[in-house]
Amino acid sequence: MADDKDVLRDVWYGRIPACFTLYPDEVTDREAEPFYLLLPRVSYLMLVTDKVKKHFLKVVKAEDVEEMWFEYEGTPLKWHCPIGVLFDLHASNTALPWSITVHFKHFPDRDLLRCSSSALIEAHFMSTIKEADAFKHKGQVINDMQKKDHKQLWMGLQNDKFDQFWAINRKLMEYPTEDGGFRYIPFRIYQTLSDRPSIQKLFRPVSSEGHALTLGDLLKELVPDVISQDDDPKKYQVVIHGIEPLFETPIQWLSEHLSHPDNFLHICIVPAPSD
Amino acid sequence: MEVWKSHVRAALIHRDCLQKDPFSGLFTKVSSLEEMLSLHMGVWEDLKRDRIQSPNTNGVLQCSNEDTNPPKLYVQLKEEQQLRQKLTQKVLDLTSDLYLKEADLQYCHSQVSRYRNEAVLLARGACCLKNDLCEYEYKLECQSKELAALKLEQRTLREELAIARQEKEELLERWLEEKKEEAERINKHNAALERWNSYAGRLNRRLNSGSRRHPRPATNNRVIQRDSTDQPSPKHN
Repeated sequence: MADDKDVLRDVWYGRIPACFTLYPDEVTDREAEPFYLLLPRVSYLMLVTDKVKKHFLKVVKAEDVEEMWFEYEGTPLKWHCPIGVLFDLHASNTALPWSITVHFKHFPDRDLLRCSSSALIEAHFMSTIKEADAFKHKGQVINDMQKKDHKQLWMGLQNDKFDQFWAINRKLMEYPTEDGGFRYIPFRIYQTLSDRPSIQKLFRPVSSEGHALTLGDLLKELVPDVISQDDDPKKYQVVIHGIEPLFETPIQWLSEHLSHPDNFLHICIVPAPSD
Repeated sequence: MEVWKSHVRAALIHRDCLQKDPFSGLFTKVSSLEEMLSLHMGVWEDLKRDRIQSPNTNGVLQCSNEDTNPPKLYVQLKEEQQLRQKLTQKVLDLTSDLYLKEADLQYCHSQVSRYRNEAVLLARGACCLKNDLCEYEYKLECQSKELAALKLEQRTLREELAIARQEKEELLERWLEEKKEEAERINKHNAALERWNSYAGRLNRRLNSGSRRHPRPATNNRVIQRDSTDQPSPKHN
């Protein structure tokens, strides 16, 4: 359906304006100007910040340069999470552009994985896609693909080519009509007020009675506190790609249309703004 | 369109209105200006290098080939080169897009073919189901008629049964009446028999006492005349 394709496009071309500033304690030859960049929501920080690195390396002393990493208000930003998820989780209710601090020293090994090259991001991305397909089709679709198809998925993401990516990814979104959906929905739930990095569980898109399950059903099973009672004020926001879908949205449709390129549905639960 | 779907669509548009659209033009402009600045810096560096490499006789830095290749022209050349590079990239992107669209078209054709097959299968199934439905409707009609006939028969039988029950009641009444009469008759007979027995007993006693006083002649038997009303009748069931 044309509308559904528009949703895929809107998801793919979602952007977050960001302002990168160098951490004040970094030693520089001259004052570092901030760097402004529109970040693709579906990509990864380390994949789109080559220009940022180049910009700040002009002023940072070469001997002080270690691995680059990013931080927002004291929270190191995980490069292996999609940018949109990082924003929705940590900064969804703050003023734009998103202010990110750039570091070249004191890499926080306890909080972040090191990312030496884009090959590492590719490996992470492909392994996540395989994990998702194991949920959806027992891994049969991704395993039946050729190496060049895997490459096309990665190149599509790396070069921000919607058509290139979806030419292959649509195969990962197919399912037998009689099944009514995937075997299980690949999803991850992130909570700001939780020590757990994310919640994952096997969840079928269709109930044993044969009716389509919704986002509300998923949340009721995994994080029931999130669903407020009728008379209670809303305590949490359930955010996917910067929007709050209705709880009656079928989880199968969400998985097909609002999943990230890694084929996982990343659901962020953040406290509702008080005002 | 379903409410939840139109909500997602509207929310995505609203999100872009807040997050992307106000910054997009500005950021693109900044990016292109930075690119231009970087190009100009590169040109400036090149010119500076050229001046250092070819100082004039007085040791003063001056631009080489200043008359034939002025800085302005050089900058223009670099800009044109960059533009050409961008256009080449654009052509490459468009060519690859074309291939992708062709592949997309093929995929769409295959999907159309798949859905057409599914539609044919479903139509066949629907046809079979329609035939079955017709058959069942015919059977239902026949069975309805049978049911109506059976109901009619049942009603007749019920009426007959009611009559039979009524007759049975009447017969039972009659039988009981007859039994009652018979019982009265038996009772009457029993009473007569009882009287007869008592009378016979008295006669026997009298006979016995008379024979003790007058000896009994051996050949002359006395005949006792009985009242027909006192004699018990044979018992009938």
